[in-house]
Amino acid sequence: MTGFDWLVMSGTILFIVGYGLWKSRGNTDIKGYLLADNSLKWWTIGLSIMATQASAITFLSTPGQAFDDGMRFVQFYFGVPIAMVLISIVAIPIYRRLNVFTAYEYLEGRFDLKTRSLTATLFLISRGLAAGMTIYAPAIILSALLGWDIDLTCVGIGIVVMIYTVSGGTKAVSQTQKQQMAVILVGMILAGILMVLKLPPDVSFGDAINIAGKMGKLNTITMPKDFSDFFHDKYNLLSGLVAGTFLMLSYFGTDQSQVQRYLGGKSVTESRLGLMFNGIFKVPMQFLILFIGVMMFVFYQFTAPPLFFNSTEEAQIAQSEQADAYDALNSRFLSLHEEKAAKLREMIQTDQALQLATLQTEVQQMESQARDMRTEAKELIKTHNPNADLNDLDQVFLTFILDHLPIGLVGLLMAVILSAAMSSTSAELNALATTSIVDIYKRSMMDTGSPTHYLRASKVSTMLWGILAIGFALIADSFGNLIQAVNLLGSLFYGTILGIFVIAFFFKWIKGTATFWAAVAGEIAVVAVWLLPQYTETFSWLNVGFLWYNLIGCAIVVGMGMLIQSFGSE
Amino acid sequence: MTDESTSPDTIQDENQELQKIFPLFKSWKALYLFVLAELGILIVLFYLFSQAYA
Repeated sequence: MTGFDWLVMSGTILFIVGYGLWKSRGNTDIKGYLLADNSLKWWTIGLSIMATQASAITFLSTPGQAFDDGMRFVQFYFGVPIAMVLISIVAIPIYRRLNVFTAYEYLEGRFDLKTRSLTATLFLISRGLAAGMTIYAPAIILSALLGWDIDLTCVGIGIVVMIYTVSGGTKAVSQTQKQQMAVILVGMILAGILMVLKLPPDVSFGDAINIAGKMGKLNTITMPKDFSDFFHDKYNLLSGLVAGTFLMLSYFGTDQSQVQRYLGGKSVTESRLGLMFNGIFKVPMQFLILFIGVMMFVFYQFTAPPLFFNSTEEAQIAQSEQADAYDALNSRFLSLHEEKAAKLREMIQTDQALQLATLQTEVQQMESQARDMRTEAKELIKTHNPNADLNDLDQVFLTFILDHLPIGLVGLLMAVILSAAMSSTSAELNALATTSIVDIYKRSMMDTGSPTHYLRASKVSTMLWGILAIGFALIADSFGNLIQAVNLLGSLFYGTILGIFVIAFFFKWIKGTATFWAAVAGEIAVVAVWLLPQYTETFSWLNVGFLWYNLIGCAIVVGMGMLIQSFGSE
Repeated sequence: MTDESTSPDTIQDENQELQKIFPLFKSWKALYLFVLAELGILIVLFYLFSQAYA
């Protein structure tokens, strides 16, 4: 990164933080601090909801995912519009009428204190761990490619977020997210345009789309091949519409980091419109990001890509005993790449169907050979460093930015990545502090404090969660596959929480105690569905994708709630 | 949902408030249908897009 890139990046971040601090000054009580005095307009809510969901890893990983697997990941988001409509109809009027600070507060009125506390605790555990990962995940990628110190990057991101989140609360979070989302969209669109402009002169945009299609990267809609695939394949039309809807209902309807975004709305209408904004623009936005990844794939068909996208690991292996073997493999990879590029050019020029089909088969075979070579390279890296992270897809987009984008835009794209990391972290800290103070501290520990006392407690709580998140990010490196573990942890809890809310909204005859024990049973069942297939063959049929845990957990909680209420005594 | 939030008066008020911001949508039901229809159209377009270039 050049000095000018540093200037663009730090200038953008400083402007956003300063703007957030300025717009959020003057909080005197927790209603102002945690609910932004119910002053937010729909476009702020909509952008804030989008920014909360889109973490840095979204912008780093998603183009890499399209580069490798094509565009079918877009189907994962098909549940968003459906969930937005359902939440808008069912949840928002209730939350707003009761004037609650958290989604869990509503559960005490509907059920009892123990159900509220259980749900709030499930949220604090899963989201508390995730907050650390939101900081750690981009830091590890930035440190790998830019040589930044990983600990300093984690602390830097954490402290900047804490400054405005502690100081300005929800209003600062939402106002900064609006700016962050604008920077993110402008940066991504510019990156996409430049990617197309950087294609060779003899390859038009239309040719690029044709090549992507012929190489199977425009697989936007896919169907499960059979019944088993329906449950095991994470990204297809049916799993996106069915399981995806349950996941999005859980996330947007019951996760406080999202609920808090629309609770700060000026009215029911503003809150609902914020959700509709997300329902309308989320799928096209993800399509755009994936399309950028596909264009990057085409770009790297004509410009030689590295054999392995993690430059730190590549530099290390160049100094090792495997250096000669790696160099030889790289030479083979580069000559195969040139041969493939020549075939692709022939494909563009030919208008004979038969020749086109032959060339397509040849190119696909070469692509398969290139994949094998990348696998071979990973094995060499693994021989040299058994602890090396072999998933380099997260680094593909960042490598493109650093190697091929002009000065200034590199700084802007770095600001995009940091903005995304900050926007989701700030929403998480804000929600964790709110739940800790409103659902635990104020409700069960200290209910006689003054408004100033609770305001101060909320700020301290935000700071403590920030320190905890930074601390967790700093030790995250010691754990193996932590990203997967934290994602799994979220899926393990979401279904149960959604089940509790489904009973609350739709099954008025089921009471608190039945719901509480149904939630306990649901949680045990979901953990069993996750663990049993790993340890015994007998239960291998239970082995389903993470996405389905939400539906399973929810269904078990509702079913058990009905049973316990019908046959138990309360 | 509560009785209060589904009463005809409330629904009418909510629809009027929506119309003030987006005159195109006469009721929330119309906006919800628009959001779901957009998803349906996107799925069809995505399908045609992937088939056209396969």
